[in-house]
Amino acid sequence: MDVLTVKNLSVSFFRPEGEIEALKNVSFSLREGEILAVMGETGCGKSVLCKSILKLLPDIAQIKTGHIDIRGEEITGYSEKQMRKLRGHFFSMVFQNPMTALNPCMSVGEQIAEAVRLRQPCLTGRERRRRTAELMELVGLNPPGERAKQYPFQLSGGMAQRCVIAIALAAEPTVLFADEATTALDVTVQAQILELFLELRKRMGMSIVLVTHNPGVAARIADRVALMRDGALFRIGDVEEILEEIIHNRNLT
Amino acid sequence: MWRKFLRRSYIIGILHNAVKFALSVFALSVLVFAISRLAPGDPLYAYYGERVEKMSAAQQEEAMERLGLREPISAQYARWLQGAVHGDFGISYQYKRDVKEVIAARIGNTLLLGGLGFLLIFALALLLGLFCAWREDRAADRLICKIGTVTSCIPEFWLSLLLILVFAVWLDWLPSSGAYSVGEEGNVADRAAHLILPLAVVVLGHLWYYAFQVRNRLLEEVRADYVLLARMKGLSGRQVLYRHCLRGALPSYLSMMSVALPHILGGTYVVEAVFSYPGIGTLAYESARYQDYNLLMVVSLLTGALVIFCNMLARTVSGRIDPRMRMRFTGGGGEVGGL
Repeated sequence: MDVLTVKNLSVSFFRPEGEIEALKNVSFSLREGEILAVMGETGCGKSVLCKSILKLLPDIAQIKTGHIDIRGEEITGYSEKQMRKLRGHFFSMVFQNPMTALNPCMSVGEQIAEAVRLRQPCLTGRERRRRTAELMELVGLNPPGERAKQYPFQLSGGMAQRCVIAIALAAEPTVLFADEATTALDVTVQAQILELFLELRKRMGMSIVLVTHNPGVAARIADRVALMRDGALFRIGDVEEILEEIIHNRNLT
Repeated sequence: MWRKFLRRSYIIGILHNAVKFALSVFALSVLVFAISRLAPGDPLYAYYGERVEKMSAAQQEEAMERLGLREPISAQYARWLQGAVHGDFGISYQYKRDVKEVIAARIGNTLLLGGLGFLLIFALALLLGLFCAWREDRAADRLICKIGTVTSCIPEFWLSLLLILVFAVWLDWLPSSGAYSVGEEGNVADRAAHLILPLAVVVLGHLWYYAFQVRNRLLEEVRADYVLLARMKGLSGRQVLYRHCLRGALPSYLSMMSVALPHILGGTYVVEAVFSYPGIGTLAYESARYQDYNLLMVVSLLTGALVIFCNMLARTVSGRIDPRMRMRFTGGGGEVGGL
């Protein structure tokens, strides 16, 4: 069953200089438990695609045409209030730049705990702390007790990235958008995080939209690959098939 | 918790700040002393008033000698400092009374007017700034911005006169001058009635400037990357503003307000003048104008000490809110004590 369907989605940024078409007629669907890698050169609209589904784009951006359905329910016209209920529950996202995505004035533990509280408001303080520590261990922020007290500026890029991932996972989402989630990490950590994604998919049946530049990452965990260029999604298919094409014909990406 | 205050690093921190404070005040006193004495003007005028013109050169010379103004500046300063550490700040040339007495009689009034004004400005500016940032660029925000710009551009003396005209003369609701009616010194209601108009002018004159700073500082935060993550968690725009952005904006607001405290306290001069309100704003102006050296020194030092103290306080509080500021001084990591 498809958990997410995007049909003919076009998004434009309206600036004083004129209209900029960021997405042109993008269509794809995501099956339950599927990992879809979205690849393409910088600025081709990968991040905008994720953010426009979550409706996290700035006010100057507008969905011009198209539909977004989750489990067969159309959410294109959802208000901010309705979207808020989906964010942090149904959808979750790992942002690109971990160093700026975290609030510099809040300890890491506090930021993860906030996400836990929003997802599970009924937990007691102790349960919430336990869940926070659990998430931190899951992404390899060890020892959680000490790490929780640290502030983002005291962390390395990789550690900050793990926090962002922990926050995204706190939502226990049905669909996770991972926007360059592993780009800031070295290969060993990257491998650990990808392992983690695979495991979470198995355990929670989570679907993942993985934005990446790295064909290796796609090959490792993706089921299907979508290729984007200049705001258009022009190719989508099984990972072996697409990667094969990339190898034989470099100018696809 | 009490153990925290006995910790060595904490005590060292307090001592460290106390020494810094004392040094700053000392430097300030040297500066004010030198500048006031190097500035042109005749201190005898403050002491003798019009009579100076009838005095002979010899008499003037003798008077200067008696006031100790013929010694070199360094010797004068040494003498002043010696007196000051023993609590003797000399006499005011104008009032011919101990400087402390002159100030003590009036400082309460200024503290009441300026202090209340400051608290109101502090709280209202924050609320107004938050509200405007939340409603950014919508009708309410735009309206408040326009009204605010206009009110902050109205000169204080004019606003004072306008308010006196409306509320004291036409409507006759409120008194137009003084800090209390004759013989009603202890009457709280009477004092409050006298405070309303000057307080309104003090608040209206400053409020928008600070509220606008809060608004803009918050809007900077709202555009930061972390806001997206916070919204992704499922927080509403308002919640993000209160729980996340305010934290980032507060340190700069606090340091701004700490500098503003003496400014607002001492900047009540115009208001004090128009409302014939007996405060030290008038004293500060007069003492500088008429070379009333001893009075000028104490008023400047009081204001200066307040500025320095507030700055230190603001930095401490900011450090509590934004850990980056605290850790910068200790090289990251470790437990930080002190003020």
